[in-house]
Amino acid sequence: MTAFSTEFVQADGFRIRYRAAGDGEPLICLHGGGGLRISRAHEMLAERRRVIAFEIPGFGESPENTRSESLEALAHSMNAAVAALDVAGFGLMGNSFGTKLALWMAIVRPAPVRAIVLVAPAAIREDARASPANVSPEQSASLLYAHPDRQPAVAPPLPDIEAKQRALTRRLLGPPRDAAFEARLRELETPVLALFGTADRVTPPTAAHLYREILPNCHNVMVYDAAHAIDAERPEAVASVVEDFLDRQARFLVRHTSGLIHP
Amino acid sequence: MKASLFCTTRYDGPASHTEWPAPTDTYLAEWGELSMRKTLEQFQLGDELGFDWVTVAEHHFAPFSMTPNPMVMAAALVGVVKRAKIAVLGPDIPILDPVRVAEELAMVDAMTNGRVIAGLMRGSANEYVTYNVNPAESRERFDEAFQLIRMAWTETQPFGWQGRYYEYRSISCWPKPSQLPHPPIYMSTASPEAGEFAARHRVGAGFAFTTLQIASKAAKHYREQCRIHGWEPTPEQVIYRLAMHVADTDEQAIEEMSSAGGGLPSLGLSFRNKAVEQAAAASGYYGRDIETQRERLQSRGAVMDRIEKGQIIVGSPETALKQIKRIRDELGAGVLDLAVASQLGDKTTRAIELFGTKVLPRMHEL
Repeated sequence: MTAFSTEFVQADGFRIRYRAAGDGEPLICLHGGGGLRISRAHEMLAERRRVIAFEIPGFGESPENTRSESLEALAHSMNAAVAALDVAGFGLMGNSFGTKLALWMAIVRPAPVRAIVLVAPAAIREDARASPANVSPEQSASLLYAHPDRQPAVAPPLPDIEAKQRALTRRLLGPPRDAAFEARLRELETPVLALFGTADRVTPPTAAHLYREILPNCHNVMVYDAAHAIDAERPEAVASVVEDFLDRQARFLVRHTSGLIHP
Repeated sequence: MKASLFCTTRYDGPASHTEWPAPTDTYLAEWGELSMRKTLEQFQLGDELGFDWVTVAEHHFAPFSMTPNPMVMAAALVGVVKRAKIAVLGPDIPILDPVRVAEELAMVDAMTNGRVIAGLMRGSANEYVTYNVNPAESRERFDEAFQLIRMAWTETQPFGWQGRYYEYRSISCWPKPSQLPHPPIYMSTASPEAGEFAARHRVGAGFAFTTLQIASKAAKHYREQCRIHGWEPTPEQVIYRLAMHVADTDEQAIEEMSSAGGGLPSLGLSFRNKAVEQAAAASGYYGRDIETQRERLQSRGAVMDRIEKGQIIVGSPETALKQIKRIRDELGAGVLDLAVASQLGDKTTRAIELFGTKVLPRMHEL
């Protein structure tokens, strides 16, 4: 198991916590509305690259974030954090809420972003869907996981932290369809991999076609038998396709490993 | 009620019907070609007589049914069957490439202007030997392949698939099925697990190689599960497959059926290879209701006994109708999938004609 350290970086007036592990090409990770967590998929990816998972200002134990007026503004702050870590070219991976922030980071500063991975993306949504926030722990687990019984028991976040995170997510996420944002996406040439859980009711795969239609260079992959927390639920399946996409971008379409069973 | 005509493309020459895989040392091309021609003729006749569907199925390595790829037969029927629906019951999806299955069914649907019925099957235990697939994984592979096929039919943008058993980097099914969102789907619901899956995914139920009593119990479970999932299947969403032979009189029909060995082989193909069947059983292939599942595949007996069990329809048109009413009353099936004993030659043709002219019009009113 790859051990993740906990560190802080000062950027754009925020003191930003991040967790990091591994060596190699950097992969910047942005969490979803539930806050920073390191999944088994992050650990697997850190075996071959440097994984840096930021805690977005206003999440976890950081002070309430009333300063970021929009995701675009927050994207500038996060890009400053990446720059402060002296990271040049990198991959960018977001989960759910974090996917919209990741896309904004690439829109405002595309040059260093080699590839973008969207995990259960909430950036473009069909309509109002179920949300794992503001429901009972059981309901939340059933939205996050196709098989909640297979997941280790995790203590829920403290109520005040959860309320703070929910308020920030709601304020910044924006409407399901955002014409100005989508217009910017149509010009984003960066290769994008979008992963959808076939059992996800929060950001369901029925919206997948929108990402293909709007992003000029997007590849959709369905992760079978996973709900919203795809990377926690099917870490091997997620890590293998993400790894391949980060290495080879669009060329990942062509299998390059041998199918030979017995030499 | 509706009727489907199921011609199995049986090899009518001398061949072993007691072992699996059956050796091909007695195979003669002339017999094989004749069997193919006869099948097409029987399907054509069934279509002209008003059968609602015609059925093709997948079986391997046996003279009982020479359609290892039912898609090939379904495609051959495009120019022969002009009106009836073409029920592919079906591809054994856990042993196949699911993307290929989606593409082929969509092709046939486009070629028939939307007349495909899509039976997505798990296949009997012996079929897992065919392409070297572990039967222990059959149900999980089925679940995944099923969802993948449905998504291949409905998704409008290319997508990859990170499954447990299947992995694809990009899929975009051309042609799309003509029927929207996709052809009606059925699956075999003999086992309780399958009934639960079909109910959850809102697809039709099929019962084959069974008895009326066992099928009725399984159908009850399926309907209960459908209720739990908030829907009720239509009569047409329950298919019952059995053998059929009709003649002018009961005595004649029974005598002809007896001479043909009772119609359909009464022993499932798996049970013709003890080692294969036992290994599959030990792997967990049958699921939690293993006793019933094995029992139904071994059920056999004389013609009268099989009539009583609801495994065959045999008799005059009047008697056949009574037997059909009994199936409707006990099982609630809206479609009967009728396998004919093709080895009876002209008598089989006569049975199809009699059924089509004397039974089918009255069956349609039930």
